[in-house]
Amino acid sequence: MTGGTDVVIVGGGIIGLAAGYFLSKAGKRVVVIDKGGFADGASGACDDMILFQSKKPGINLELTFESLELYKRLIVDFDDSMQFKNLGGMVLIENEAELAIMEQFVREQRSYGLDVELIDQQDARKKQPFLSDHIIASTYSMMDSQIDPFHVMRAFEKQGSKLGMQIIRRNAVEAIDLLGSGNWKVSCADGSSWEAPTVVNAAGAWAPSIGAMVDLSVPIVPKRGQIVLSERIPPIGETNLWNAKYLVTKLHKDSATALSEEEKALGLSLAFTRSAGGTYLMGSTREYVGYDKSTTIAGIKGIINLTLGYLPRMSEVGIVRAMAGLRPETPDGKMILGEHADRPGFFTAAGHEGDGIALAPITGKLLSDLVCNNRIERRVDELSPNRFGGTAHE
Amino acid sequence: MNCRPIVLEAQHMSDESENRDMLICRCEEVTLGEILDAIDDGFVTVKDVKRATRAGMGLCQGRSCSRTIARIISQRTGRPLEEVLPKSYRYPVRPEKMAAALSKESEDESDR
Ligand SMILES: Cc1cc2nc3c(=O)[nH]c(=O)nc-3n(C[C@H](O)[C@H](O)[C@H](O)COP(=O)(O)OP(=O)(O)OC[C@H]3O[C@@H](n4cnc5c(N)ncnc54)[C@H](O)[C@@H]3O)c2cc1C
Repeated sequence: MTGGTDVVIVGGGIIGLAAGYFLSKAGKRVVVIDKGGFADGASGACDDMILFQSKKPGINLELTFESLELYKRLIVDFDDSMQFKNLGGMVLIENEAELAIMEQFVREQRSYGLDVELIDQQDARKKQPFLSDHIIASTYSMMDSQIDPFHVMRAFEKQGSKLGMQIIRRNAVEAIDLLGSGNWKVSCADGSSWEAPTVVNAAGAWAPSIGAMVDLSVPIVPKRGQIVLSERIPPIGETNLWNAKYLVTKLHKDSATALSEEEKALGLSLAFTRSAGGTYLMGSTREYVGYDKSTTIAGIKGIINLTLGYLPRMSEVGIVRAMAGLRPETPDGKMILGEHADRPGFFTAAGHEGDGIALAPITGKLLSDLVCNNRIERRVDELSPNRFGGTAHE
Repeated sequence: MNCRPIVLEAQHMSDESENRDMLICRCEEVTLGEILDAIDDGFVTVKDVKRATRAGMGLCQGRSCSRTIARIISQRTGRPLEEVLPKSYRYPVRPEKMAAALSKESEDESDR
């Protein structure tokens, strides 16, 4: 099929669909192509947090603020709550060493405008009556919010479709070639092809394979995360929960000794969040296992052990399912967003690691502005695909 | 458990106007109408419909309604059942207590 297409988006996860929506809204004729079904990638196997507290001051924290504002606007524009909730979050602290590091971290975040505070054991237990006794303190922020990824994706798809966006599923992109006309030709497994001046690589953890089709190296690696789902139960506390232990080991490398062998091997850290369906999502792992999306008994047990360490009473609650997704990780923890040098019209929007749900709207909006050459209010060059040097893929 | 299998005959499903309110997934309270709308929006496998509507995401994890949903999709789209049904199921196959799950011994039950 030739003509009539302005942008081909490769990958229909939350990022591809957000980009498709914003580009359609800007008047572009968009086709989104995905090799799988609806939400088959990381966007269908993840938590639903718009999380501030895990972020160091810097562009990721700023973008999360901007993205939350966009979500609030979309909720009004779409007349759809997308299950947005604002339960707040707590990061649980287990000892004095963690407390000292978290005190410093919270100070930095506050100076950046994040509404976060430290609370003592007693206040922590008021918000979370089932916490283990060994928790000595906690952070608390009312800003941590959540939104259901499935709802968000369906809403972007529905609103985009109204504006003419096409979505093709179960059809893998296999080749991308630059034509003499300056257009890109995107060829799919079923023999169909699309031509357009602009291609967006929004293939998440698979973005390197799409980059390779045009001889680009896109430095993203898949980092597996497993999650266990509980049965539906009444709320057991006010907020969602994380543990400081993992965060602290990221802030101070030498504190890694605090992790158990199991936690180290699986890259375990606590995320305990109440889902749109009234179940609890318990996670998660951080594993480098290539493109293997399976769940493992070791992973499930590790997550259960971890959760019970903080919330012993959960032992009597049933689990109904486990799932795993591949986070697209970049070397510097920042997404890749922009046009590639020497590949006019070829853009990447991928590499959101553990923040793609939170950052989908702002990514879609910024990408659309970049493609349309609109003036952008903020600096985005630190996200450019060209920041890693050498472009050739050998 | 609050999920009982629902037997749906072909003629019930084609006569939508009367049956749009019929519950197909009892755990998550998803109606036939919501499922038909999702199919018409292009969600054409049991997994797609599940993610788009939450049908089959509840306590029974679709053990009661998956086949019914598969038949509805197949009928409405003409796609064969094999293309519509999920290919595999993952551990845990049935709900179990967190404490009990810790005594699992091998990886055998975890499929891909
Ligand atoms: C356990 C876990 C918990 C998480 N929790 C959170 C959270 O609480 N908050 C948050 O903000 N983020 C969270 N994330 C991160 C979030 O899931 C990701 O950042 C986000 O889903 C990435 O979206 P994406 O669209 O880039 O990738 P994906 O959703 O993976 O989409 C990429 C798509 O590209 C398609 N594709 C690949 N190759 C091809 C090809 N050749 N042709 C066509 N299509 C192709 C794939 O089929 C896939 O659908 C979590 C992730 C995990 C794993």
